[in-house]
Amino acid sequence: MAYVSVKGGADAIAQAKELVEYYRLKDKTKPIEIEQIKSQFRLAIDKIMGEGSLYAPEYAAIAFKQMEGDVLESAFVLRAFRATLQRKYYSDILDTRNMFVKRKISSSFREIPGGQVLGPTRDYSQRLIDSTKYNESEQEIENFLSSFEGKIEKEKMQEITSFNKVIDLLKAEGLLMPAESNYDKTVKDVTLEAVKYPAPRSVTLQMLARGETGGLMTLAYSSMRGFGDGHGTIGELRYGSVKVLVSDTQGRKRYIGNVNLTECEMITKINTTKEAKIPYFAIGYGLVLGQNETKAICMSILERGIRSGKSENPANNQEFVLYHTEGVEAMGFTNHLKLPHYVTFQSGLNNLRESVKRNTNIQDEKMKVYKEMAKQFQK
Amino acid sequence: MEQIDYILVNCCLNNLKEVVEKLEKSHPFQIAKQPALSLAMLRAEDSVESQEFYLSEALVTDCEVSYNGITGYGICMGDEPVRAYCIAAIDAMLQQSEKDEILEAFLNIESEKIKLKEKEEYNHIQRTRVDFKMMEQA
Repeated sequence: MAYVSVKGGADAIAQAKELVEYYRLKDKTKPIEIEQIKSQFRLAIDKIMGEGSLYAPEYAAIAFKQMEGDVLESAFVLRAFRATLQRKYYSDILDTRNMFVKRKISSSFREIPGGQVLGPTRDYSQRLIDSTKYNESEQEIENFLSSFEGKIEKEKMQEITSFNKVIDLLKAEGLLMPAESNYDKTVKDVTLEAVKYPAPRSVTLQMLARGETGGLMTLAYSSMRGFGDGHGTIGELRYGSVKVLVSDTQGRKRYIGNVNLTECEMITKINTTKEAKIPYFAIGYGLVLGQNETKAICMSILERGIRSGKSENPANNQEFVLYHTEGVEAMGFTNHLKLPHYVTFQSGLNNLRESVKRNTNIQDEKMKVYKEMAKQFQK
Repeated sequence: MEQIDYILVNCCLNNLKEVVEKLEKSHPFQIAKQPALSLAMLRAEDSVESQEFYLSEALVTDCEVSYNGITGYGICMGDEPVRAYCIAAIDAMLQQSEKDEILEAFLNIESEKIKLKEKEEYNHIQRTRVDFKMMEQA
């Protein structure tokens, strides 16, 4: 196959770029402020940062505005932006045990350390459209906030605490599968080196954490439905804020801010074998940026499935899962189909035309023979 | 420095800017390296087997300020050139064990404000804690 260079589209491209901007602005509505996007489109921003693999709420908001609300395109823009910057710091390992917990639930145990805290969630509300949002006024927002803030008694406030994890209780009781020693524990960075399969577990975790939510959900759902063994029980699902520490040039520990994270520990059962007679619980692990519970849950299911060794199911196959949940690459490949394939297509077209012509000639020859035979038969 | 960083990173930017402007009058800070954007890789580990992995990167701004021959470093998440400069200036001062009443008062006030804000948020969150009752108790 050969490629030929063509030119002539530059002007059209420039005009198209202007036209798409015109479509964004033609209704002359008020410009949306980045602060508004950051705070009122919180979950979209979380998704963009997670899939763009860059914690930068203000830049995720700019990308969201620029891309007219397309989350995956925004993640693409964020990744491209990230590629222009130098990495100067590595954080200390994030301590999710000391998370400022905003939400934590367990579907395995009713009583968990600190209780079930529903936090900011729409899980238990009906998904009915709220038409009052159409005309939401600043006064209404003020009224809501002042009423909400008045709901705690400032003199009787509890002190902030962190909570033990459910899995720590299971671990203490000896119910968790002992740590596997026979897997590759190397810490690799997929942003610096190409992935080779089978890849170490660190690659699985990193790639799932930056994977596309819909892609992770599709494969995890297939696993839950039976094409895998992914129907676990949530040991604990946490959402909250974690401190980030780095070392400065002098080697001193410095606090640089907090990141919001969702963490999921999925409990699954291990099948017994001749060697492993106890049906221990095993944990699938999910950790993602922002509040994105679907992604954290699906990450934990897929992470466990990949470790199961039963790669005949797509959702348990490391290479299949990691390649196909990489949203930015998947979108890029899909969209390359829109680029000119004139030469490839012309080649196919020529082959087809030749084939049709050849076939027509054969058919004509056959018809001649049949007609001749018919004449002889009539005689 | 971790505690002070916590206050400087989370306090109101205008208040921080104001206090550093006051300090500038008596402390000749010099920018050794202009505030610039860079990245920090966030390291994480799974909670059972402690397998380390790279979660994502975070956008950071850093800056270097020199004062009396000592370099102060300011690093914070986000695109925050003013905050990074202010942190670097204060760091340069504090490395010389300089006590300053204005700064101390500022840190105390802002620290209390941050603590109160966090405590209020925590108590709002705790209102969503489930109070399980048996069906017959309902």
